[in-house]
Amino acid sequence: MDELIYTLKQQIIEALNLEDMKPEDIDENASLFGEGLGLDSIDALELIVLMEKNYGIKLQDPSQGKEIFKSVAVMADFIQKNRTK
Amino acid sequence: MLNHKVIITPNEVILDGKTLDHNEQGGALLTELYRTYVGDYPKFFKMDTLSKLGLVASELLLQAEGEPRFEAREDRAVVFFNRSASLQADTAYQATIQEPENFFPSPAAFVYTLPNIVTGEIAIRNKYYGETSFIVLPENDPKIMAQQLQLAFLDTMTQSILGGWLDCTDENHFEAHLFLIDKQQFDTIESSLL
Repeated sequence: MDELIYTLKQQIIEALNLEDMKPEDIDENASLFGEGLGLDSIDALELIVLMEKNYGIKLQDPSQGKEIFKSVAVMADFIQKNRTK
Repeated sequence: MLNHKVIITPNEVILDGKTLDHNEQGGALLTELYRTYVGDYPKFFKMDTLSKLGLVASELLLQAEGEPRFEAREDRAVVFFNRSASLQADTAYQATIQEPENFFPSPAAFVYTLPNIVTGEIAIRNKYYGETSFIVLPENDPKIMAQQLQLAFLDTMTQSILGGWLDCTDENHFEAHLFLIDKQQFDTIESSLL
């Protein structure tokens, strides 16, 4: 799981152009939106694309994102349970 | 007479006639300018090249102007012109949908596939609630640009314009000739643009 969390942090940094940020800078339990990483709605769409592109996960219901994108740790847990690649 | 004028090309930055020192060229120059003169707006890194160019050019102009920043105002319009519309962003988005086996349309790339996004970015950052326009022309034509600026000043609300030429064909090829002009000084705008 630790390896998946680290890889996911790298993928998030690259996909969302989080310049000057390293995986170590992201607290896997911190909120991705609002006070945490401060992501916006377009970033949420990019995270949906990231999950489909890298892990073969297609969210059937976009409103699931609210729960899945709570933090990197929650996202990694969802990926581990649902990934197809 | 223009209040302030900035020129940014991949190799040169000139603010009010004075060349600014820099180390980088091309797209890296825009990042260097951001880090040197802005630094507090991480959204910069998510922008397409046209918006990055417009943001740093407008920042140099507004810092040269020296007036209080980020206070809501309706008396300043943002009016830009170019030839290439949002070509760099269009190309970047196209790359995400080019291959059927790797078809993952990027929302972040898609949102910049209009040239007038940059005028909105600048208006949002500076709390400008006046007119914003982005006009695509066949070529850099000072006469047509002056006519459009004249039209913008017909709105009695508009007392100054942040405007000019802002063109970008790819990440390393771009050209900004932006200026700030007051309504009272508009009579000489056409010769100043030349």
